[in-house]
Parts: sequence; structure tokens; C-alpha cells
Amino acid sequence: MSSSHVKDLSFLGVRIPPEIESMSKNLNDVDQETFRKILKAVVSALEGKDCREVMRSTADGSGIPQERLSHIIAGMYRLLSEAIRIPTSSLKHEAFKEDLRELRIPEEFITDFSSVVFGYRRAALESATSQNDPHLPTIEDFKWRVDVAISTSSLARALQPSVLMQMKLSNGSFHRFEVPVSKFQELRYNVALILKEMNDLEKRSILKIQD
Amino acid sequence: MADVEAAKSLSGLLNGIAQHVYYNNSDVTEELLRVQLFPDLPRDQFTALHEKMKGLVKSIATADMDHAQLEAFLTAQTKKQGGAGLSSEQAAALTRFWKSQRVRVRESLLAQSRWEPGLRGLSWRVDLQTAASQGGAVHSGPVALMELELGRAGQESEFVCLEFDEAAVNQALKKMAEIQESIDRIVHRT
Repeated sequence: MSSSHVKDLSFLGVRIPPEIESMSKNLNDVDQETFRKILKAVVSALEGKDCREVMRSTADGSGIPQERLSHIIAGMYRLLSEAIRIPTSSLKHEAFKEDLRELRIPEEFITDFSSVVFGYRRAALESATSQNDPHLPTIEDFKWRVDVAISTSSLARALQPSVLMQMKLSNGSFHRFEVPVSKFQELRYNVALILKEMNDLEKRSILKIQD
Repeated sequence: MADVEAAKSLSGLLNGIAQHVYYNNSDVTEELLRVQLFPDLPRDQFTALHEKMKGLVKSIATADMDHAQLEAFLTAQTKKQGGAGLSSEQAAALTRFWKSQRVRVRESLLAQSRWEPGLRGLSWRVDLQTAASQGGAVHSGPVALMELELGRAGQESEFVCLEFDEAAVNQALKKMAEIQESIDRIVHRT
């Protein structure tokens, strides 16, 4: 693909998502104050916050019919989430503005959209949205105990240390298991190795993948 | 020549008992040992021998005897009179047997008193997320995926998959250091 081609293509793709098209149609006579209120609510929704109350009061105060308002909110949500998906190294500020102009979005709204996508809230939005990516559970709580078996039904003098571990995972499940000392050494060695690999990875240029 | 054969049969019997009693190998039955190792011995005599050896191995294993303890124990046994007494060949066979099997038998006995699932193994992978449906991947650091294999004795393993970022791995490693310290304190004291 030639570079001139890439420039022509909107960040929204070849086909503009229908929510965004109908948003731009419904934005015409919305005043900036109302626009900013809605934008703020949509941004906090993207951040994963409950914004039902804010949305309701905005809707009541704006005087915009509910149906038009729904188009606007849906379009804003889609537009922002599409824009935040793309790393800032690939989506340039000017290109973004140009794409919005082509959708006939009023200039003052474009500035407001830009300040969300390229402003200081970007990092918070990215980390909030990445929470929705598929993940394996993480360890939420980890407890341990070192036991020494003194004597058992089959061994008069066992005197064998072992580690009992209990993990609570982020998906709510609990796991309790015993780790013999030899296995514990193996576990510890491997965790240390993982950390070393991660550190090495950060030093190497592989992290600086650019597209 | 006959002595060598007898010693071999005796060693075979002891190892057979260990297979059956300590290593959960149910294929090695008393009958199999009799037919394979002592075909010429009358059945009741074999049963007596088998019971005697089984009892001695159990005493040695339960006490987890070291070399000196074993020697004292066997000496006392050889001095017993009549059928309960132990021949010097039998004592020698028991010494050889225990020298080679002590660690394994102890491990098996320890396992008998373990009820929680144990950690059987682990495998891991370090990934770098490069893209995601929701974006935000570019700024995230490497991710470690770890699979723990847990299982109770005689049961199938269960696998637990976990994800760690660098901070979480660091934290886990710190806990491991604490545990290690705690183990070292006990081991050094005894």
C-alpha cells in the first residue's frame, strides 16, 4: 500500500461506523456547553465509571429529544473508543482533526474530541480500556505457612518441612496446595527467572515495536 | 553358588515387598514372589518368611533408621533364638536393601500423610502484548503467564493458569524469599 493511500484513509476505516455518521448529523444545533457535559459523561463511561446519574441530569437539562441524544452518545462512545485503540504514534493529531472535519463535525467539537484523545486523560483511558482485554486471573491474595511434620501415622520421626500456600485469584477462586521443599526451590528459581526475562525484555529493543 | 542365589532371592523378596507396600505396585503379589523367587519352598514356610521380612522392613521404615540404628537393630534380631531369629545372610540383605531404598521409602511414607493437593510442576511464558481489541496495549509491559500443576496422590492433575505483570512477579519473589528464610531457620535449628 502506498503512503498516500494510507493518508487518505480515515482512522475509522473505509466505512464510517453508522453511529458516528448519525452523531454528526444530530450534532448541528447542540451548544458547546451541552456537548461538553455529554462528552464528560461518555469519557467517564469509557473509564468504566457509572455515569447513569450524570447522563440523566444532562439529558433533562439539555432540551434535546431523547432519540437524538441517544444517537449523539452512541456516536461519541464509538468515535472515542476507536481513536483510543490506535497508538498515538500511528494516529497523528492533524490527521484525526482532518478525519473529523470530513464527517462535518463542527470545529469547536473537534477541538474537544482532540483534547480527550490527545490530552492528559489519554493514559487513564488506555489503562481503563485495557482492563477489558482478555486476561488470565491474577493473584489477589497470597498466604503461606511453613509446617514441619513431626510424626505421622506411617513415619515415627518425619521432621519434614513443607510449605502450604493459599492463593485467592482475581476470578474469585481459591487454591490451596502443599509444596515440598524441593518443589519450592524449583518454584522460587522459576519466579526469579521470569523476573530476569522480563527485565531483559525491557532492555532489548523488542519493546519498541512501531507500526 | 547356592549362597549367591539365595541372597538374590532374598533381595528380590525385599524389593518385592517394597513395591507392594510402599510404591503402590499391586502387580507384585505375595504369590508372584513365591513362584518367581522361592518355587521350592513349602508354602507355609514362604508365608512365614514373607511375613517376617515385611515386619522387619516396616519397623526399619517407620523409624527411618540410619546406619548405626539399623546395625543395632539387626544385631538384636540375629541374637533371637528359634524361628524368629535372623540369619546373617538375611541381615546383610536387609542392610543392602535399606541402603538403596531408604530415601525412596521415606518419600513414599511422607506422601501418605499429605492430604492437600501438592504442587507437581510449573511452566511459564513471558509475553509482550502488541495489540488488543480495546487498545492500550502499546504501553503495557511484558506479561508472565504461569501454569501450576496441582494434584493429590493418585488423582489427575488440575491446572491453574495465572497472569503476572512485572510488579506482581517482583512481589511473588519477595514472598518466596520470606518463605525461604522461614525454612532456613527451621532447618538450621535441627
